[in-house]
Amino acid sequence: MSEQRDHLPTIMPTSNRPINAGAALDDDTARLDAVAKVTGRARYARDRYEPNALFAAFIRCPFGAATLTGLDEAAAKAVPGVVDVKRTGDEGRYHGEPVGFVVAESKHALRRGLRAVAPKWKRGSVKTTITDDAGPIPATEDDVAEAIANADHVIEAVYSTPVQTHSALETHGVVVDHRGDTATVYASTQGTFSVRDGIGDALGLARSEFEVRCEYVGGGFGAKFGPGKEGMLAAEVARRHERPVYVFCDRAEEHLDTGNRPSSRTHVRVGFAKDGTPLATRVHTWGGVGVARRGGGARIPSQRYDLGSVQKTHEDVQFNAGGPRAMRAPGWPQGAFAEELLLDEIATVAGVDPLALRRRLDGDTARRAMYDLGADLIGWSRRAKTGTQSSVVRRGFGVGTTSWPRIPARAEAEVVVHRDGSVEARTGTQDIGQGQRTAMGVIAATKLGVPLRLVTVMIGRSSYPVGPGSGGSMTLPNTAPAMMAAALDARSKVLEHVARRRGMEANELTIADGYVIRGEERLVGWEDACRGLPDDGVTGRGDGRSGAAHRGEGTSAGVQFVELTVDSETGVIAVERVVAIQACGQVVSRKTAESQIIGGVIQGISYALFEDKLLDRNLGAMVNPNLEMYKIVGSRDMPHIEPVLWTQGQTGVRSLGEPPVVPTAGAIAAAVFNAIGAPVRHLPLTPDKVLAAQEGGAA
Amino acid sequence: MPHENDDPTLPGAAPPGRGVTRRSFMQTLGISAAATSALGGEREATAAVADDTPVLGPGPVPITLRINGKPHTRTVDPATTLLEALRVDLDLTGTKEVCDRGACGACSVLVDGRLTVSCMMLAIDAVGAEITTVEGLARGDTLDPVQESFVRHDALQCGFCTPGLVMASRALLDENPKPTLDQIKKGLSGNLCRCGTYTNVFNAVLEASGQTPIADAEEAMP
Repeated sequence: MSEQRDHLPTIMPTSNRPINAGAALDDDTARLDAVAKVTGRARYARDRYEPNALFAAFIRCPFGAATLTGLDEAAAKAVPGVVDVKRTGDEGRYHGEPVGFVVAESKHALRRGLRAVAPKWKRGSVKTTITDDAGPIPATEDDVAEAIANADHVIEAVYSTPVQTHSALETHGVVVDHRGDTATVYASTQGTFSVRDGIGDALGLARSEFEVRCEYVGGGFGAKFGPGKEGMLAAEVARRHERPVYVFCDRAEEHLDTGNRPSSRTHVRVGFAKDGTPLATRVHTWGGVGVARRGGGARIPSQRYDLGSVQKTHEDVQFNAGGPRAMRAPGWPQGAFAEELLLDEIATVAGVDPLALRRRLDGDTARRAMYDLGADLIGWSRRAKTGTQSSVVRRGFGVGTTSWPRIPARAEAEVVVHRDGSVEARTGTQDIGQGQRTAMGVIAATKLGVPLRLVTVMIGRSSYPVGPGSGGSMTLPNTAPAMMAAALDARSKVLEHVARRRGMEANELTIADGYVIRGEERLVGWEDACRGLPDDGVTGRGDGRSGAAHRGEGTSAGVQFVELTVDSETGVIAVERVVAIQACGQVVSRKTAESQIIGGVIQGISYALFEDKLLDRNLGAMVNPNLEMYKIVGSRDMPHIEPVLWTQGQTGVRSLGEPPVVPTAGAIAAAVFNAIGAPVRHLPLTPDKVLAAQEGGAA
Repeated sequence: MPHENDDPTLPGAAPPGRGVTRRSFMQTLGISAAATSALGGEREATAAVADDTPVLGPGPVPITLRINGKPHTRTVDPATTLLEALRVDLDLTGTKEVCDRGACGACSVLVDGRLTVSCMMLAIDAVGAEITTVEGLARGDTLDPVQESFVRHDALQCGFCTPGLVMASRALLDENPKPTLDQIKKGLSGNLCRCGTYTNVFNAVLEASGQTPIADAEEAMP
């Protein structure tokens, strides 16, 4: 494989994060596929332009609700290069819903074909927000109602969050190379095996007759599981024509019909004591699920804080928009936004420091220590009391917390040791940017006892050992124990051969730094030891269960501190600094772990300040299905972000996909409240809302 | 990088992206397409030919693009963007398609040394220009200093925005060899990243320009 040359490890120490020195199994190795990615040699599914390929795309409803009354299939078929036009439905229930598709010989012919079909629509009436159809709040249980009524103070407030689209830079899509009785499926996916499991029927092939490949994936964030409608269309067309078929969403389609973090509305009524201790809390949430039946919700209470006796109810509300999909900690950032801001509101009414209040309500021992470290790092003592600033530019500090459980899943791994000493570490799981390729290599090399340069990591193919999709921070917690077990199994097999040839006992021997070692003695070098292996080498196998000893317990606790300024004349928020302290078990690769924490924070900032999928309330059409009007955070909005890898008391290996994205928006909202003295309870925290809150108190 | 043919009196002489008219680029294209195989320099050829050149299209037209120092001749639909020509026609897929309307910078290349979003330029408009893509930065196995510092500082995650950010960083340093942090933020503000690598990119650019990356606070772990 020519691309493997790009995966050779390079040791490149960095010194700008001294606090994390020594935190990981591997501190200094650069991401294994970094060179492939900076040189453009990394080939993603979207980069597969197979010879003789067809291109296909959906005909989509342009309104929130409309009936298709006309489609000029003949005109489209008359366009040179258009191969097929098919109508598959008549009703569009949301902007972007497919009602047919066009197949063409080139991207240009496809575009012209899509124009030539000139669909005619009869528009229907639309609902575009949660409030268009939200039901009433169910009755409050007597004991909760009574406890709230008897409390010293009561806060009743509504918090809301917008629809956020995943906006992975590589859009959803699949390239199917169908050769009649076999096929290769190149997918941009978070789940190699989820594509395999979902696409076989459409291909008309048994699972043994095709392979799914996703060697590089341009982001996912929760929306890329299974073949999707893009994969099903590619498979169906490829099967019919026995030609390669390329189906990738354009940017507008990506916003419209590939899932989203659903909008939420949270009504809270909390009664608390004079010192701020919550006594009882009534929470009702609404989740906006578009045309889906479920999938909304805000995780509040988070259960990280003691909110007294809690009654929580929830309703999913439908409207005319594409349905949600899991997005990085589904429901958690929505809940944390409301909960963290609520805690600061309680603290302000009670006249206590919000950090002190959290210390009182949060029983997690790791987080309690993180509060101390974070307060020092951010300089919490510089925080002015909320509502006391009158300068034009006002400074705010906020804090938020996170946690994430270990979610078990089946995972297997193989480590092959060849007679020339080279090593293959195989798992079918995928690297969507989190660093799975690097983590697998580091684990295999470390447990085998050989330098990483000898290890070729082979991932992202359905013919490799099975493993979970990259969602719910499940990849590494399950594949790490499997890869550790596989490497240890391969090591024992190598040592058995060495021992047998030398008349020793295998259990006297170990491998370290590329040598077979007995006691203090370097018995033989790795390459020489491997020459004595059978022709086809040895294969170590492991699964998540045999690697049970490497599993960690507990949750991935974390705390984030934010420092920002608010310009009280313009309402513009400038986040200046974020300290993100995060536990995730035994850190495998320091650089990729730091990056994932930073990335979670950055997505959290984007969610807090900018992102909003806007639907026209009359047409039901998304008005900003692009990247200039659907704003995501950019370089000029960047604070200094300090990721802190928390190692104290950590066991096992866990992932960092979800935990760091949970607390950021809540911490920012709390800091804005601290700066201007009025809470802004509706994301995104745009200047108009900041100014309105300043003018009128609570928004 | 100066344009070798900036004389506005010459037909079709306007460099790409600088007030080129439909008429003038069609002229450039027509001449270039016809003259490429026979003559080496498209622009010189342009200057030598009368302006009664027929407007080309709507059918496919032959063009020659000079990419990373080598000429590539293909027949393309006149509506083909430079981005599509690179990716679909030439299989140079390092340059990424993300928004296809100039909003994200993922498709950034250098056109005559100038940072250009290739989705907003027609391929026929790039004829005669020297195009550098992300594939053309490294010299064999020796990475460009920008690429090397991206690797060191892990200034990438999924890697889909990375080619564009690498090109934008290269262009920034070509123009300003020692940018301040604010100048880096401004210089890269045309490039979107979704995984969240911006701050590592800043460190990479600082280091590639011989400056010190931004250090975090040091504090003993409790």
